[in-house]
Amino acid sequence: MRDRAGPAAEAVTVRRPEAADFDAVVVGAGPAGSAAALELARAGHSVALVERGPFPGSKNVYGGVVYGRILDELIPDWYERMPVQRWITRRQTMLLSGDRSLTVDFRSQNWGRAPYNGATTYRAEFDSWLAGHARAAGAVLVPSTVATALLRTADGQVVGVRTDRPDGDLTARVVIACDGVNSFLGKQAGLHPDEQAAHTTLGVKETLALPRETIEERFGVTGTDGVDIEILGGTSGVPGGGFLYTNRDTVSVGLVLGLPGLAKAGLRPEEILAELKQHPSVRPLVRGAEVVEYSAHLIPEGGYRSMPRLGGNGLLLAGDSAAMCLAAGIWLEGVNFALGSGMYAGRAAANGLRSGGPAVLGEYRRLLEKSFVLADHKKLRDAPGLVLSERVQHRYPGLVCDLAEGMFTVDNPRPKPGLRRLLRRAARHNGVRMRELARDALTGLRSFG
Amino acid sequence: MADLGDLADPLVVVALRWADARARVDPLTGEVGTDPRGAGPGEADRCALEHGLRIAGATGARCAAVTLAPPPAEEMLRDALACGADEVLRVDVAPEDPRLPDSGAATARALARSIRAELGDPGLLLTGDHSADRGTGATPAFLAAELGCAQALGLVELSLVDGRLAGLRRLDRGRRERLAIPVPAVCSVEPAGVRLRRAGLPGTLRAREAVIPAIPAIPVASGQTGAEPPSVRAARPYRPRAKELPAPQGDDPRLRLLRLTGAHEEREPPRVVVTEDPAEAADELLAFLRDRGYLP
Repeated sequence: MRDRAGPAAEAVTVRRPEAADFDAVVVGAGPAGSAAALELARAGHSVALVERGPFPGSKNVYGGVVYGRILDELIPDWYERMPVQRWITRRQTMLLSGDRSLTVDFRSQNWGRAPYNGATTYRAEFDSWLAGHARAAGAVLVPSTVATALLRTADGQVVGVRTDRPDGDLTARVVIACDGVNSFLGKQAGLHPDEQAAHTTLGVKETLALPRETIEERFGVTGTDGVDIEILGGTSGVPGGGFLYTNRDTVSVGLVLGLPGLAKAGLRPEEILAELKQHPSVRPLVRGAEVVEYSAHLIPEGGYRSMPRLGGNGLLLAGDSAAMCLAAGIWLEGVNFALGSGMYAGRAAANGLRSGGPAVLGEYRRLLEKSFVLADHKKLRDAPGLVLSERVQHRYPGLVCDLAEGMFTVDNPRPKPGLRRLLRRAARHNGVRMRELARDALTGLRSFG
Repeated sequence: MADLGDLADPLVVVALRWADARARVDPLTGEVGTDPRGAGPGEADRCALEHGLRIAGATGARCAAVTLAPPPAEEMLRDALACGADEVLRVDVAPEDPRLPDSGAATARALARSIRAELGDPGLLLTGDHSADRGTGATPAFLAAELGCAQALGLVELSLVDGRLAGLRRLDRGRRERLAIPVPAVCSVEPAGVRLRRAGLPGTLRAREAVIPAIPAIPVASGQTGAEPPSVRAARPYRPRAKELPAPQGDDPRLRLLRLTGAHEEREPPRVVVTEDPAEAADELLAFLRDRGYLP
C-alpha cells in the first residue's frame, strides 16, 4: 500500500462484514462531523470520527461568524465555554462602487450579552473544542487519516470507509460524510450533481494582525464586542462579495469569488483582495496591519437548487459536502447550517441504529425540512441567483451610490432634485431599466420577505 | 562487545522531545507563543523512533517511547504506540522546576531517573540529534553521562550488523566515520535515512483508547545539575553590531558603487552541468568542490 493514498475514484466492493467495527463512522471533524458524532455518542453508539488533519480545525478556512443558536440544542451553555474571539454587536453591509461606498450600519448591545447572537472564532480552536465534546461523549477521534473510498457491498449498501492507513478499512452500520465541499465520498456514491464548479465559489482570506486597541478604535468597539462587515462590490467585476471581521487582535478580510467569473476574468484572487484593501473605505481599517495568514477554500454557494441528494444506502451527507451553506446576500451563514445538518444526521442515524435498520435518509430529510436547515434554503432558493446576477453585482452598487451621492450633494443655487428624478437618473446612468428593478425587487421580496 | 540481544531484558527507549516548531516569538519582548495542537516530535525524533522500532523488532527487545512534557504531549505518545511502541511513559514537567524541559542537563537527569525507575536500564536509548525548537543537541550527551553508557551522537545511519549496532556519522569535508557501538549506549540520529512508518488503522484505534501512564519528574536537588540556569535581567530586541568594512576606493561615486557591489569584476560565470552520463556529471561536481576546498 502506498504511504499516503489519495482518494479513490470509485467505491470498493466488499463482502458484508459479520460485525462492524463501529456503529457509525463520521468522516470529517468539522462542525458538521463533530455535531453528528456528538449526537451519536450521546445516544450510546460507538462512533469513529475520522479527520484528515492532525487535529480538528487544522485544515479549515473560514472568515465568518458562528451563529450559535443551534448550539443551544447541542451544548446548552455553549456561550460560556466556546472559544470566542469577539461577540458581534455591530453589523454592516457595505456597497462599493468605484471609490465610493454606502454602508448600512446596525449595532445592538443585546448581541453582546447572553444568549448572544454570533461570534467570530478561530476554527482551529472552535473545531477542536467541539470535537472535544464528541470525544468526551465517547466518540473515537482518528486524526491524520484520510477516508479514501466507500466500502460497499455488491447490492450497493455502504458498510464503511477505506482509509489511507495500512489495514485501513473501517466498517460501520452507517457512514456520515462530512468531508467538505469536494466530498469525494459523496461523489463516489453518485450523489453530487454535475457542474459543481458553476455552483462553487472560491473564498480567499487574509488574517491581519493589529494591536487590540487599534482594532477597538478603528471599529468603534470595546471589550469583547466585534464587527461583521459584508461587502457587495469591490471584486474587480468578478461575481462575489467581500467580508471583514474583527477578532481579538486580528482582522479577517477576504473575498468570495464565483469560479466561472474568476476564470473568465483571468485575475488572481490575491490581486483582487489587494485591490479591495486599497479601497478608501477599507484601507483605513487595515492600514499598517501585518499579514499573518493567507488561505483559500472552496465554498458550496449554489443553495437549495444545487444541493446533492442527501444520502442513501447507509450513507448520509452533512455540512459542506451536502452544500449546506447559505449565501443570500444579507445572510451569509455556513457553520450554523453545518452544525444543524450534522446534528440531525447524527440524530437520524442514531434513531435508525436503535430501530435496527440503517434506513435513515427519510428521517434525516424530515428533520432537516422541519428545521431552519432546509426551510431557510428552500425559502431562499432564488437568492443566490439574484445576489450573483449581473445587475446586483455590477449595476445596483453604482445605482445606490449614485442615488446617495445625488441626495447628499448640495449644489446650490440649484433646487434639490426629487428622489424619483434621482432614481431615474441613477438607473439610466447604470443601465438599469425600471422594469428590471421592479422585477428584482419582487424576487427579493419573495425570497427575503 | 555485548549485543543488544544478549541482555537479559533488552530494552530500547526512544526519548521524544515535544515541541512546537511553529512557535511565535515577539521580537520586542521575546515572549514565546506556542500552540499545543501543532506541537509534536521533530523529524529527527521521528527518525529515532523508526530506528528504535526496527532495532527492537530485529532483536526482540521491548521498545518504549518516553517524553518529558505536559499532558498535551499524550497525542505524540499515542502516535508512538500506534506505530508499534510496546509501552510509553510521560514524565510530567514539574512546575516547581523551571529548568525543565529547557535545560539539557536537568532534562537528561529527570528522564534518566524516570526511565530507570519505571522501565529499567535501557540497552539502547535513542533521541533526535536536536529538538525541533532550536535545541542545543546537548541532551543526548547528558543522558549518556547520567546513564553511564557509551554515546554515538549525530548519526546519519544506524543499523544492526551481525546483531551489533553500527552507526555512520558525517565528518567535516565530506568524510564519514563508521562506528561499532557497544551497548548500553545512547545514540542520537539526524533526520535522515529512514522515515517513520505510517501507523496502521488497528494500531491507531488501539492507541486512541490507551491510557498513557504519567509520572511526576523526580525533583532534582539544587546544585545537582551543575550551574544554575542564567536569569534574564533585561530583554531587548536582537541588534547585531554593525560590521566595519573598508570604504571602497575610487574618485568617481559610480566607481565606488561598482567596487562596493562587486559588479563588472572578472569571475567564473555559473553554468549548468548537463551530460548524458550521471557519473560524468558527478565527477564534474566533485572536481568543482575539490577545486574550492570543500573536499580533500
